[in-house]
Amino acid sequence: VSRTRTVDAAPLGAFEEQIMVAVLRTGDEAYGMGVRREIERVTARELTIGAVYATLDRLEAKGLLASTRRAGGSATRRVFSLTPAGARALEDTRVMRERLWDGIDFRSLLARARR
Amino acid sequence: MHDSAPPRLPLALLGLLLSRSERGEVLADVREEHAARLARDGPAAARRWLWRQALGSAPALLGWSWWREWSGFEPPANAYNPGGAMLRSWITDAQYAARRLRARPGYVLLAALTLGLGVGGTSAVFGITRGLLFDPLPYPHEREVGVFWKKSDWSEEEFQYVRGRFPGFRDVARYRHVNLRLQQEDAPMRLLPGITASAELFDVLGTQPLLGRAFRAGDDVTGAEPVIVLSYGLWQELGADPGILETSLALEGRSHRVIGVMPRGFWFPDPTVGLWTPLPPNENPTIFNSTLVGRVAAGQDLRALQQPVAQLTTMLDERFNYPPQFDKAVDARVTPIREDLFGRMRPALLATLASMALILLIACANVAALMIGQVHARTGELATRFALGANRRRLTQQLVIEAMLIAVVAGALGTALAWSGFRLLARALPLGPWTGVSTPDWTVFATGMVIAFAASLLVVLIPTLSLWRGELRGALSSARTGGLQGRGGRMEGGLVVAEVALAVLIASGAALLGRSVTKLYALDPGLQPESVGVVDVMLPGGFTRQRQRLEELTGALAALPGVRSAGAVQTLPLGGGGYRTTLVVEGRTDLDGVYTEYRIVTPGYLETLGFQLLAGRTITPGDRGDGERVVVINQAFAETYFPNTDPLGRLVGGDADAAAVVVGVVANAAERLLTDAAVPVRYVAAAQMGWLEQPQSLVLKADAGVDPLALLEDARRAVQSAAPDVAVRRTTTLSRVLAESVGPARQVMSLLSLLSGLALTLGAVGVYGVIAHFAARRRREWALRVALGLPASGAVTHVFRRGARLVVFGIALGVGVAAGLAGLLSPLLYEVRALDPIAFAGAAAALLAVGLFAAFVPARRAGVIDPAIVLREP
Repeated sequence: VSRTRTVDAAPLGAFEEQIMVAVLRTGDEAYGMGVRREIERVTARELTIGAVYATLDRLEAKGLLASTRRAGGSATRRVFSLTPAGARALEDTRVMRERLWDGIDFRSLLARARR
Repeated sequence: MHDSAPPRLPLALLGLLLSRSERGEVLADVREEHAARLARDGPAAARRWLWRQALGSAPALLGWSWWREWSGFEPPANAYNPGGAMLRSWITDAQYAARRLRARPGYVLLAALTLGLGVGGTSAVFGITRGLLFDPLPYPHEREVGVFWKKSDWSEEEFQYVRGRFPGFRDVARYRHVNLRLQQEDAPMRLLPGITASAELFDVLGTQPLLGRAFRAGDDVTGAEPVIVLSYGLWQELGADPGILETSLALEGRSHRVIGVMPRGFWFPDPTVGLWTPLPPNENPTIFNSTLVGRVAAGQDLRALQQPVAQLTTMLDERFNYPPQFDKAVDARVTPIREDLFGRMRPALLATLASMALILLIACANVAALMIGQVHARTGELATRFALGANRRRLTQQLVIEAMLIAVVAGALGTALAWSGFRLLARALPLGPWTGVSTPDWTVFATGMVIAFAASLLVVLIPTLSLWRGELRGALSSARTGGLQGRGGRMEGGLVVAEVALAVLIASGAALLGRSVTKLYALDPGLQPESVGVVDVMLPGGFTRQRQRLEELTGALAALPGVRSAGAVQTLPLGGGGYRTTLVVEGRTDLDGVYTEYRIVTPGYLETLGFQLLAGRTITPGDRGDGERVVVINQAFAETYFPNTDPLGRLVGGDADAAAVVVGVVANAAERLLTDAAVPVRYVAAAQMGWLEQPQSLVLKADAGVDPLALLEDARRAVQSAAPDVAVRRTTTLSRVLAESVGPARQVMSLLSLLSGLALTLGAVGVYGVIAHFAARRRREWALRVALGLPASGAVTHVFRRGARLVVFGIALGVGVAAGLAGLLSPLLYEVRALDPIAFAGAAAALLAVGLFAAFVPARRAGVIDPAIVLREP
C-alpha cells in the first residue's frame, strides 16, 4: 500500500542529484555499493552505504528511479536505472543550476583565496 | 587467515538495522567491499572502514526503516514479497495485543493491580531508604572519616591532651549537641538544634561551605568572637539572603556572627541540626560529654587502625587515671561514619526493602501464572497460527508486547501508589531524624517504571518457556480430539511453590519480629507510662532563676484542668541516656571510683511517673534547701549497698552533692534502656541542689479518661505564658518514649505484618488461580470419568491433593530458605533466636491454612461436574 508515488516537483537535493548522476554513470553496475563507490571515486569523500541505500529507495518511491533484480556477485542485486520522470527531474535541476550560475564571475575572489 | 574475515560485530549491527528483505544483499556487498579494501589497505584500515560504515549508517538506516513503515513503500524488486520490516510486525502485534487486552479488562486489571502493588511498594521503599542505604554521605571520601568509640564519651581534657597528635589521623574534631534559643524581633523564642564543635570539624568532614567560610583555627579559643555556620535549610527559613553573612543572630542572649552557609543536602550528624558553632574551651574540662570524629590521611584504611588506636589508649592511660567503668581501652575502635550513623537502622531498612522485593516477586509469580492461563486458553489459536507458518519468535514477541502493555499500566498504578503512600510509609519506617527528609520526586516515577518493565520481562519468561517447550502441535491435535489434555502445568506448579515459599519468608520474618517485640513489651519498665505527657524545656538564666522557673512551671502544669500531678527531671527513663556521679555511702570504704545513676527530681515527679513506693516516703515540697538533705533510692541501690539492712535513715552522698539521708525506697524502673538490667539509682530533690542540668523534662499525669496528647498543647501554652523566655524543645508522651525504646523492631514489625498479610493474600490468589486452572483443564477428563462411574468426590480429592502437595512443598522450601536468611534479622531480635521454632511454625501454619483453603475452593467446584453438560461443550 503506497501513499507517496507522485513525482516530486521540487528540484533534487545535492545528494540526490549526485546519486542520480552516479546511477547514470555506472549503468549496469548501478547497485547500492556500485553507486557508493562511483561517488567516492569522483568526489574523494567517504559515504556510508546506509545513506546511499536509503536515498536510492526514496528516489524509487518518488518514481525517479526504478529497480530490477539481477544476478551479480554472490546474491541477486537490486540494480537501479533512471525513469523518464527521473531524467526530467535531473534535467530540470541542471537547467536551474545553470540559470543560477549564469553571469557569475568570481575569479578575482578565487584568485585571492588561492593566494 | 584469521584477519581476512570481516569483524562480526559491525556486520551484526548493520544486519540489525537493515530490513530483512535488504539484509542479505547489502551485507554481501559490504563483505565484498571489505575484502577489496583488505587487499588494498590492509586489515586495520579495512576494519576501521567497516566500523565507520556500520556506525555512520545507523541514523540513515533507522530513518529509512521508519520512513518505509510510514509510507508503506515496498519496491517491486524486493528480495522476497511479501517481506515487511521488523518494526511493522511490532506495530501489528502491539495493536493486536491492545485489542486483546481491551477485550479482557478483568485480566488486565488483576495483572496490573497485582504487579502495581509490588512495583509501588518497592519503588516507594527504595525511594525512602535510598538516601540512607545507597547514596553517598555529604562528606567527600567518606571512607576516610570515622567516629571514635563511645563506651564512655570524651572529655575536653582528653581531647586537648592529644589534640594535634592523634596517631593515624590527619584531623580529629570534638563535637556535641546543643540546643540554642534564637531570639528574633517580634517572634516567639525558637529552639534550634545545633552542634558545637572544635575548629577542626569541617576539615574532618571535608565539605566546603556554599557561602562564606567554615571554622578555622582560632574560632574556638578563649575570647574569640562567637560565630555560627548555618545549614542551607535554616538559611532558607531565615530569608535566604546572601547578605546574611556578617550579620548577627541572637543565640542564648549573645550575638553570634554568621560566617558561612553550608550547601544544600549537607547535614551533620543528622538533618535536624540547623547550625554549627565553635566549642568554647574550658567550659567543663572533666565532663565526658562529647564525641570525637576524625579523618585519616587520603588513601588510608579506617579498618587498619588497631595499632594507632592502641597507641592512643596508651597515651591516655599514661596521663589520666580512669576508674574501671570509664577505661578508654575497653572496646577501643573507630567506626566508619556511615556505620556509626546508620548502623542501627540498616537491618530494619534492609528487611523492609527485601520484604517489598519479595512481595514484588510473589506478584510476578501470580501474573506469570495468570499469563500461562491465558496462553493455555489460547492454545487452539496459537497452534493454528503455528501451523500456518508463524514462528515461535513471533509468538513470543506477542507475549512480550502484551506484558509490556501490562507493565505500562502496572507502572502507572504502582507509581501512583508509591506517590500517595510515600509519606505514610516514610513515617512507618524507623528512620529516626531522617524521617521526612526524602520526598517523592521524579525518581520514584522512574524507579517504578523501570521495576515494572523488569518485572514484566521476568513474568513473560515463564509463559515463553512453556511456549517454547513445544506443546503446540500436541495442543492442536488435542483440540481436535475434544480438549482431552494429558500432563502439563508443571510450570504453574513451580510458580505456586515459589510463591508459597516467598510468602513463608515474609511471614516468618514478621513472626520473628513479632515474638521479639512481644517480649520487649512484656518487660516491666517499673513505671506507668499511660496518660503521662512530657514537655522538654530549656531554662534560661543562672541557677537560682532556673530553679525558680522550674517550680513555677511544674506549678502551672499541675494547675491545668485535667492534670492530676506534675513534676520535672533532668533525664527521663527509657531514653538510654544516663547521668552518673561518684558515690559515697556511710560506713562503706570500698566504693572508690564507683559511679551510680543520679536523678534530680521535683516533688511529684516520682508519683507522676508511677514509681512504686516500697518503703518510707518520696520527695515532698517540704524538702527545701534549708531543711535536712534527703535522697530516695531504688531497690537495686538498696540491695547493692545496704544488703540485709534497713537503708532508711542512712547517709548517702558523692562528689556532686553533700551527704543526704535516705527517706524512701522505690521499685526499680528502666532508667536507661528497656532491655538494660536494673541499676542502682538515687533521686535527690531539685530544691536542695546547688545546680541543675539542661534540658529539663516536665512531666504531667492526666486524669483518668483524659488523653495526655490533648493536654500537651495546653501544657505548651501554659509554659509559654508562665515563662516566655523558656524554649520548648519537644512535647511527647511517655508511651511514645516507651515505644521508641522498643526500637526499630516495633516499626518494622508492623510493616512486616502488613506485608505478610499481603503476601498471604497474593499467595492464596495464586494457589487458587493455578488450582482452578488445573481443574478447568481436566474438566472433560473428569466428566468422562464421572460418566464412567467415578464418584464426584474422587475429582475433589485429586484436585485438592495436587493443591495441598504444592502448598506443602512451598512451605518446606520457604522454611528452609528462611532458616538460612533469619540470621540477617538477628540485630533486631531480643531474646528470640533467629531460628525460633515457634515463629517458623506459626508462619508455616498460617500459610498451610490459607493455602489449603485456597486449594479447596476450586477442588470443591471440580466435584460438581455434570458430564451431560461438560461433554457437550464444543
